[in-house]
Amino acid sequence: MNASALVAAAVQVGVVAVGAPLLVGLMRQVRSRLEGRAGAGVTQPWRDLRKLLRRQPATPTGAGWAFRLAPLLLIGTSLVLAAVTPLLTTASPLDPAADLFAVVGLLALGTVILALAALDTGTAFGGMGASREITILALVEPTILVAVFALSARVGSTNLAAIVTATLHDPLRVASPASLLAAAALAIVVVAETGRLPVDNPATHLELTMIHEAMVLEYAGTDLALVEWASAMRLTVLLGLLASLFLPWGIAGASLAGLPVALAVFGAKVAVLAAGLGAAEVFIAKLRLFRVPELLAGSFVLALLAVASSFFLA
Amino acid sequence: MTDLSYALFLDLAAGLFLLAAIGVLWRHQLASMIRLFALQGAALAAIVAILGIHEHSLELILVAVGLGALRAAVLPYLAWRALGDSPAEARETRPVVNVAASLLAAAALTLLAYAVTRPLVAMLGTSPASTILPAALAVALIGFFTLVTRRRALSQVVGFLLLDNGITATAFLAAAGVPLIVELGVSFDLLLIVLVLQVLTTRLRTTFGSSDLDELRELHD
Amino acid sequence: MNVIGWALAGACVAAGSGVLAAVVLPRRARPAAVGAATAAIGLSGLVAGIAALSGQVFQARLPGLLPLAGVEIALDPLGGWFVAVTGGVLVAAALYGIGYAGGGHGQSGRPVQAALPVFAVSMLLVPAAASVSTLLVLWELMAVSSLLLILAEHRARPAVADAGRWYAALTQVGFAAILLGLVVYAARAGGESFADLRAAHLSPAVRGAVFVLVLAGFGSKAGLVPLHVWLPRAHAEAPSPVSAMLSAAMVNLGVYGVIRVGFDLFGGGSRWWWLLVLTVGAVSALYGILQAAVAADLKRLLAYSTVENMGLVFLGVGAAGIFNASGAPTLAALALAAALLHVLNHAGFKALLFTAAGSVVRATGTRDLDALGGLRSRMPVTTILFAVGALGAAALPLGNGFVSEWLLLQSLVHTLPAGGVVIAVAMPLAVAVVALTAGLAVAAFVKALGVGFFARPRSDATEAARESPPAMLVAMGVLAAACVGLALAPAALAPVLSRAVGAATHTPATVVDGGVSLRLAGIASTMSPLVIAVAVVVAVGGCALLVRLVAGRVTRRRAVALWDCGVGPPTARMQYTATSFAEPLQRVFDDVLAPETDVDITPHAESAYLVARVAYQARVPDRVEHALYAPVITAARRLGRLGPVLANGSVHRYLAYGFFGMCALLLVLAVTR
Repeated sequence: MNASALVAAAVQVGVVAVGAPLLVGLMRQVRSRLEGRAGAGVTQPWRDLRKLLRRQPATPTGAGWAFRLAPLLLIGTSLVLAAVTPLLTTASPLDPAADLFAVVGLLALGTVILALAALDTGTAFGGMGASREITILALVEPTILVAVFALSARVGSTNLAAIVTATLHDPLRVASPASLLAAAALAIVVVAETGRLPVDNPATHLELTMIHEAMVLEYAGTDLALVEWASAMRLTVLLGLLASLFLPWGIAGASLAGLPVALAVFGAKVAVLAAGLGAAEVFIAKLRLFRVPELLAGSFVLALLAVASSFFLA
Repeated sequence: MTDLSYALFLDLAAGLFLLAAIGVLWRHQLASMIRLFALQGAALAAIVAILGIHEHSLELILVAVGLGALRAAVLPYLAWRALGDSPAEARETRPVVNVAASLLAAAALTLLAYAVTRPLVAMLGTSPASTILPAALAVALIGFFTLVTRRRALSQVVGFLLLDNGITATAFLAAAGVPLIVELGVSFDLLLIVLVLQVLTTRLRTTFGSSDLDELRELHD
Repeated sequence: MNVIGWALAGACVAAGSGVLAAVVLPRRARPAAVGAATAAIGLSGLVAGIAALSGQVFQARLPGLLPLAGVEIALDPLGGWFVAVTGGVLVAAALYGIGYAGGGHGQSGRPVQAALPVFAVSMLLVPAAASVSTLLVLWELMAVSSLLLILAEHRARPAVADAGRWYAALTQVGFAAILLGLVVYAARAGGESFADLRAAHLSPAVRGAVFVLVLAGFGSKAGLVPLHVWLPRAHAEAPSPVSAMLSAAMVNLGVYGVIRVGFDLFGGGSRWWWLLVLTVGAVSALYGILQAAVAADLKRLLAYSTVENMGLVFLGVGAAGIFNASGAPTLAALALAAALLHVLNHAGFKALLFTAAGSVVRATGTRDLDALGGLRSRMPVTTILFAVGALGAAALPLGNGFVSEWLLLQSLVHTLPAGGVVIAVAMPLAVAVVALTAGLAVAAFVKALGVGFFARPRSDATEAARESPPAMLVAMGVLAAACVGLALAPAALAPVLSRAVGAATHTPATVVDGGVSLRLAGIASTMSPLVIAVAVVVAVGGCALLVRLVAGRVTRRRAVALWDCGVGPPTARMQYTATSFAEPLQRVFDDVLAPETDVDITPHAESAYLVARVAYQARVPDRVEHALYAPVITAARRLGRLGPVLANGSVHRYLAYGFFGMCALLLVLAVTR
């Protein structure tokens, strides 16, 4: 562990923390322009956060410590995720501490914390959101881990930096069917994990359809700001992870010299992905909850085919 | 074409070929099933064309063009004609095995195809063409599975055509092509079968008001 | 005689004094004395196990103790691992039991109290047995004494007797299978000590048959599907300290048996054995956790989670065997290490969860999650301790279950295509099973914690719950501390884990090592739970500080009413229950679980068109039990009906049976000779 790696990791966390609300703003802006609206501008989520951070948090009657601690724990795990994943640099000092399995685990931990907080309020909405979110989490898990299998089997390591470096050394690997299938599978996973269409509609507050929003319904003020911020960071990290695993070019190594380039490339990659996601959301409708398993089964098949093709074609 | 890009293109075409078959299981809309089938026909033609270009064989390239015309255009068009326009008929509403389970079964069939073709691949040597043999066999198995588990006459037609696509691909990959005359005969048969099924579907619909093949059971009583 | 010998002797002495105390002492003093004796047994087990793991070897032959065969005892690192796990669980569960028995809970009758030390010591000594007869005697002793303990509360609930019957039947079937397998093995080997068995050369067919029999026998103890049916009943109906011992210690011995016979005695064996083990393990893991995810009974949920975890352990053991038979000894050692570590982790969190559930049952009188809730303010310490256990059981980072599942996944993921078709097909599917299991475990334990302990009480009994006495909290605290230790510093166990694996595979090697972060032999992956935990704590602390700085003047929280859509305050009955929480999962896995729903409409007496009452009932029965055991039971019942026909009470008839039997025998002899 050296000083420059530490600086690079700190920059990475800072970029994710500052950039995440902008990314959400970008997605909303793309969406509203495509729908023929003017949109509120890319910085609107930041203005919302600033406003919410100054408001008093509220604790509904009957809620306990799980409800109060959840926003902090959620944002804590999101920050650790931002530090661990190789978004700008492959030399994060935390990389040896958390491999891809641990990253998946930390993501799940964040979801679980929020679900427990939702159950803690004791409303029907909270329970409903938690139940649905956890169901989706459980069904997403096989896809992720099998896709991890496909990505890491040839590298001989599940550590993210090792996978990214191996791809950088062998660019043709990206175009292999195994890699493409895994990318498709993980893209579906990202959509499901971050609660975007067609799995969940982030803009809805309709009781019967909401998942993520139902869980955070009781939050207000500072708490709500933290939850929203953490969700935006999770989205950014997941999109960044997708970009780093399948288009790793531009990521800096241990030296600080590559950092500005890495920053620009990272921004571009994530912005393109986010804009694509935002644009796609205009054209698709939300799936019925009980059709979601079909989508996830499809993504699982893609992941399994990724593994199989890495074996077929070996 | 270099060896590396040859292998890569072949792999990608085979991937598309397999994914289209899985997509047929995934979708409920008959129209999108037909679209996926057309896509698969194109992928099959691409596989044959890539083989032809690699082996500098004009005959194979011509066969590829013929295959593409038949399977990516003519057959989908005929199936499209049989689709009819009643919205109740446009969906595979209640397959015998539900979609999520079908997808898992498709995964299992692919692994089975992989396990079964392992000795064959070892016998043929690890050329790029033989390594994608499992994908071709998997498509045949998935086609058969579609035939067994889907209720609409039209989705069964698509399943049958998938089965045939898989067999054709297996033939090209394992034996570097079948004699042109056999291929022509098979294609002609296919065309005939689809036409017959189209007529059958239309008759079925006019008689029973639906193309659910389970209705045929009534003929038994 | 070295430390191990003295410790094992001490355990026997403690057991003897425990039985004596149970018989002699008055009812009031009994639980404390017996509990202390059981804790002493556990402590000596811990000492013996740690001594064996640190490299000491102990062997003893006591020819006079058992007629004909004599008793043979030996403890190697593999046995030591299991003895240490059992010992640790016994200490905590016995201490907990002392507190649990206070206030009129638990059973202080003589037979039950006397059975406890016997059960403890027989369980402790099973991994130390070094001959077939010793193993079988201890195994049967353990089975019978545990049956007595399970039946402890049979007067209170009729379900207990039912659970006891299931347990008795399946455990005896399992015992018969082990007996048959090992006796055939010993007969062919020409000796019954483990050393003779190791040296024996048997034909592959006999070896395979013996292994399958032994797997069925030990698998029934470990609760593998389809032999698991006793487990959710017995573990749920037994008194909670006993549940903890059964679920955290006794089931492990099934794993021990399979590893001992398959790896140590047979030295690896064929690939199909282990493929069978892997498949059975995978099915058990999935089925168990699926049932746990839809269960609404807290202890039943935990019991099904035991089925799941044992399934994962067997999946690891099976993978290890496959790797071993395919010539990948490094991966085999890693998979076996993962399985052994998971045995330990599971023992830690499951003992904690069962004891915490016991406290809940003691405080509220119900195990029904649909009637619980709101315990976090009434039983704050228990809630936090349960949360620690649930974190481990859900295999999330910062919990101890994560570490062993991580090891397991590493061993499965790094298989190479060169291993052949079986590995190439089996391992991705195994990874998918582990992943789905982990996901469903999250669902099950979010439900247990979120519905059972958070939100508002769903019944009056829960409303009046009080925190448990300190003795129970201390025992649970010890377990929780062990879980946290295992979660944060698993690398500390690396040397002993390697030694235990080496004893099983006969090839000593370093499998896992590392200080702060875990490093594996032959795989470049690393992970450090400690660093992750520190990073999370630092990040959370930093955010808390930042929030305080930015929003300093508004951090005082406002108490508000719950969002009620404007219809008035939502009542506790409007909350999501465990059943409703699990409903989406139940629907997704409808085809597997086959839930049953009953709608019962009672019309008014005056008119059939006016509905007086609608009763709706939904349950998820154990499908394996219905499909597999119901026909067997029906057939047995039919056979039983023959009894009255054959034995109608006439003495002449009975004498005639004997007479004709003897004549028939003589006739046969006359013809054949």
